[in-house]
Amino acid sequence: MKNTFIGNAILAIVLVACNNVNEKTNTVRSDSSVLQQQTGKSASTAIASIKGIVAGYLQLKNALSNDNGNDAANAGKAITGALQNFDTAALKPDQKKVYADVQDDIKEHAEHIGMNADKIAHQREHFEMLSKDIYDLVKAFPAEQTLYKDYCPMYNNGKGAIWLSETKEIKNPYLGKKMPTCGEIKEEIK
Amino acid sequence: MRLGKKIVILLPVAFAAIQFIQPARNKSGQVMPTDISNTLNIPPLVDTLLKTSCYDCHSNNTNYPWYANLQPLGWILNKHILKAKMELNFSDFGSYSSRRQRSKLKSIASQVNDNTMPLASYTWLHKNSKFSKEAKALINDWALKSIETIATGNKK
Repeated sequence: MKNTFIGNAILAIVLVACNNVNEKTNTVRSDSSVLQQQTGKSASTAIASIKGIVAGYLQLKNALSNDNGNDAANAGKAITGALQNFDTAALKPDQKKVYADVQDDIKEHAEHIGMNADKIAHQREHFEMLSKDIYDLVKAFPAEQTLYKDYCPMYNNGKGAIWLSETKEIKNPYLGKKMPTCGEIKEEIK
Repeated sequence: MRLGKKIVILLPVAFAAIQFIQPARNKSGQVMPTDISNTLNIPPLVDTLLKTSCYDCHSNNTNYPWYANLQPLGWILNKHILKAKMELNFSDFGSYSSRRQRSKLKSIASQVNDNTMPLASYTWLHKNSKFSKEAKALINDWALKSIETIATGNKK
């Protein structure tokens, strides 16, 4: 009789303890789901701001294909602004690595393009290097819109250069209105 | 005293006074770990060309002309050097991201080729800093080769 009483008591203690453990795991679980929601949120703002960088780049590309140095300079400034608002905290490690690699370079090209509204040839030189940076950046992040990697074989004394476009139609930003349709689509980035 | 007379007297006084305001010299005298010579191989000929024609403004060691002691010329020079170093500093090249290093080399090649650099005002004052056709080719080849070296990760 005494033995069964002790046995019941032990059983009760164990059961309560187990319940506690269950409760604890429950709370941990709900915490982590909150955490996931939060990181999910900040990841989406980071994507939104690479969107800002890409939007600035496309604006720049369109200005250059219209031979408009002033608009190009404004787009350069828009890219600089988008970089400042970029939050790296929520990036995945591989994205962080790519971003760290391209960041300084994008900033510098964007600044130069912003400062040289009257020198469109100089803006295009920086645009060529910027295009490679943006291409690598876009490849490291999930796509928000379909982009096309275009290639102009004539720019840079026949060395050729790439650019990114949001449309299938070729509008050459390197040669502008002189040769608007020069170039071809090399890749579709989805 | 008439205003004109006042100016005539005050101008030399002001000129004498500003001579005492000397900006800090851009002369570190030592090779930083981030110096380009620690990042890339530079053939002796190219090294001499860069040192003669670029380093006065694009490094931490300027070879000052005599008129740098004369203000306000020294101030103008100083401002000029600060801006140049912000664009490209050979003493700090190693601290740039490898992508930025490649962009810089590309700009070096293109600006030397189209005579944007060294600046005309600089080559006018430093006759031996002007690049000959051969010198341009040397720098161009070195820059393009270095871009490849950096891209393949074979830095020094």
